[in-house]
Amino acid sequence: MKNTLLYSAAALIATSAAANAQSIDYQVMGEMFGEPVTTGATGAPQRSTDVPATMIIITQDEIAQAPEYDIPGILRHYSGIDVARFSMGQGEVGIRSAASPYTPRLLVLVNGREVYLDSYGYTAWSTLPVNLDEIQQIEVVKGPQSALYGFNAVAGVINIITRDPAYGDFANATAEVGTNGYQQYRLSGGRALNDQIALRFSYGRTDGRDFDVEPDAIEAVSLRAGNPDFEREHFALGGSVKFTENVGLTFEYTQSEAEVLELTSIYSSAANAYDLTSYQGELGADTDFGYITLSAYRNESDITYSFGDLDGELTSFKLQDLIKIGSNDTLRFAVEFRTAETASFPDTTAGDLNYETLAFSGMWNHKFSNKLETTLAVRYDMVDWSRDGSPNPALYPYTQSDYDVSFEEFSYNAALVYKPEAGGTVRLSAARGIQAPTMFDMGFLLPVGTAVLIGDPNIQPSIVDNIELAYDRSLSNGVQLRTALFWQNTDDVKSSLGGAPDLFPPNAPLPAYRFGNRGESRLWGFEGSLAGMIGETVDWDLSYTYKSVEDDLTPFPTTTLTDFEGITPEHTVNAHLGWTSGRLSLDGYANYVSDTVMPFQPVFGAVASRDIDGHISFSGRASYELTDNLDLSLTAQNVNFGDGELTTPVYETEARYWVSLRANF
Amino acid sequence: MIRILSAVGLSVLLTSAASAQTTERDLAVVGRALSFLEGASGSDRTVAIVFDPASAAEAEALNAAMAGGLSAGRVTLNGQLVPLGQSVSGVDAAVFLGGAATDAGAVQAATSAGVMTVSTDMTCVQAGNCVMGVQSEPSVRIVVNGAAASSASVSFSTAFAMMVEEI
Repeated sequence: MKNTLLYSAAALIATSAAANAQSIDYQVMGEMFGEPVTTGATGAPQRSTDVPATMIIITQDEIAQAPEYDIPGILRHYSGIDVARFSMGQGEVGIRSAASPYTPRLLVLVNGREVYLDSYGYTAWSTLPVNLDEIQQIEVVKGPQSALYGFNAVAGVINIITRDPAYGDFANATAEVGTNGYQQYRLSGGRALNDQIALRFSYGRTDGRDFDVEPDAIEAVSLRAGNPDFEREHFALGGSVKFTENVGLTFEYTQSEAEVLELTSIYSSAANAYDLTSYQGELGADTDFGYITLSAYRNESDITYSFGDLDGELTSFKLQDLIKIGSNDTLRFAVEFRTAETASFPDTTAGDLNYETLAFSGMWNHKFSNKLETTLAVRYDMVDWSRDGSPNPALYPYTQSDYDVSFEEFSYNAALVYKPEAGGTVRLSAARGIQAPTMFDMGFLLPVGTAVLIGDPNIQPSIVDNIELAYDRSLSNGVQLRTALFWQNTDDVKSSLGGAPDLFPPNAPLPAYRFGNRGESRLWGFEGSLAGMIGETVDWDLSYTYKSVEDDLTPFPTTTLTDFEGITPEHTVNAHLGWTSGRLSLDGYANYVSDTVMPFQPVFGAVASRDIDGHISFSGRASYELTDNLDLSLTAQNVNFGDGELTTPVYETEARYWVSLRANF
Repeated sequence: MIRILSAVGLSVLLTSAASAQTTERDLAVVGRALSFLEGASGSDRTVAIVFDPASAAEAEALNAAMAGGLSAGRVTLNGQLVPLGQSVSGVDAAVFLGGAATDAGAVQAATSAGVMTVSTDMTCVQAGNCVMGVQSEPSVRIVVNGAAASSASVSFSTAFAMMVEEI
């Protein structure tokens, strides 16, 4: 990969006159209320203690002190979040559910734009066009959120929000150098040029020698030998133009490239190269009829998997009105249109696959009093799929017309939030989320020997129902208590292919390993966390999550490699202790994940299971402020892992140490 | 008997909460709330401290906190002491202390003059005299009286309005 992003970025700066006008001043509102604020739960701005969903809001300070080099690493320290490290560049994130390779159940957004790759159906975390230093906050919304965010927000949503220069200039530069060839350079800044225009830019690059591979992971050993290094690079330029006091435009352009060793959704090894570009704009007007926004974005992906190239495009338009009526009612209405196109993979002669979605959604929040309020959000999606060309009848068991598929789905979120006189907040919520079929699920085809791996146009959306009871409270000694009890059911579990064909001649031209719906999975669990201060200098937090999963799927591994029950750890525990005195701060972290059983596919077709022992990792960070604008830190990550600990089936997560020099202005 | 004691206890609690002293922390909340007033420009805000003789010391302390400008988010607050009985004008907001907050005539006069009137005595905003009531302890509570805001020709950004209590 070449350092081309900076040069193209410079050209763009010279020609761009656009910029951004975010409607929420997160910093001042957070300081005013003494707690973070968010729009992540309902689309309306709310204090974190008022939201009708179980949320974690990770602040700038928490990100800065974490002993991590990427966002999945930061997320592993919080309750109810499962993070599995499949390679240095592939940290997968699940919420109250398995973090499988290419996790399809979690929707991730950066500044409101989906970064979920919806042609295959996952988030490639290494490609996110954002530096850790420039993040205002990371919002984790747990449970299905399809009524607000649309398809695939079934396990939850992660919303990454960057600092907005319209509300304050900032600049930071960070250089990190560590063991095993690790280097990370980050440069980001934002400035209001005048009262109307503000600009933000971001550049980041990471390099590092990837983890060692288990010797019996035959394909991975070969791929690791040919691609020993993880590399990623990104550039982003955003900004705002304020036309009047109440009307503004925001925009963002991003480009990211990454070369990553990964496991795919069927646990096969791959060496992949990503080249992603996005464009985003939003016009917002604060009117007598509410806050009206017209937003649009376009994602372009050019991905070279080791098993073929995949080009895809997604364009989304959304019109929304958010209005408060009287003193007690907030309403949101929205209509969204999406169109996506993906080249037939990997045989481009079979015709592009397309879908169009028209969705109507609404939200109503009613305050009965300052102690009791209710929220109801609904969404109705209408989806039409098609294929541009005729698939080769020598390979496909389906005709072009088989891909003319339509479906309509309804999703909702309902919640009651009660603040009893005794203190704290009680939340009772129910939700129905939709996980839609992807292009891979529908139309993928890959010849392997005398068989084919193939998507199925008859595949149905998965439906996820969730019920939750939560209680949060600030205890008299300042300790923050957060608890939640949750129950979840997934019907028509979508699955990639299994370890054996399930369609044979004469019903297909060749034996076919098919994608499909594979049954049902149930989950219930509990999560609890405590966080507080000891005096003025010591801060601490402790969390525990219990999950019980029961799959009722077709037998593993014949027609599916999906195994929520096996790969979901029953117990996770996180602990953190921090101490600050003057210019010196020390932070220590411990993370425990109980044993799991994960699918293992050393070469295609040889499917087995691998026991992963329960493991605890210790990490720490020492930071010293050299001046008011410059700090030096030493980070030790997973120190007890030494040369490698098997936390997933193929790559051995290693201890890593680095020195960081960071300047903030 | 239990009911009587409970009622007395509740009344004591409400009274103490309603007449709590205005602190620098309250002032910081008020200052940040001023960021979301529509029509305001620049970063300097003048805040009148309206006080009766019993709250003179409290007023002096708040005014001292604003001496030289008190940074509150993206605005800087500058204080102006106004004894109860004098008219309030030419300021961005007026904080009414102690007995001044219960002097309906004085507060209403300031509100009608287009001043964003504030008090930590919640009875002021509940009675419709103050535009805003603020409490910063044990957790932040901001209450806006729609009728008083209309009387003062004061309006807030949509985002702010959605996060505060409106009566």
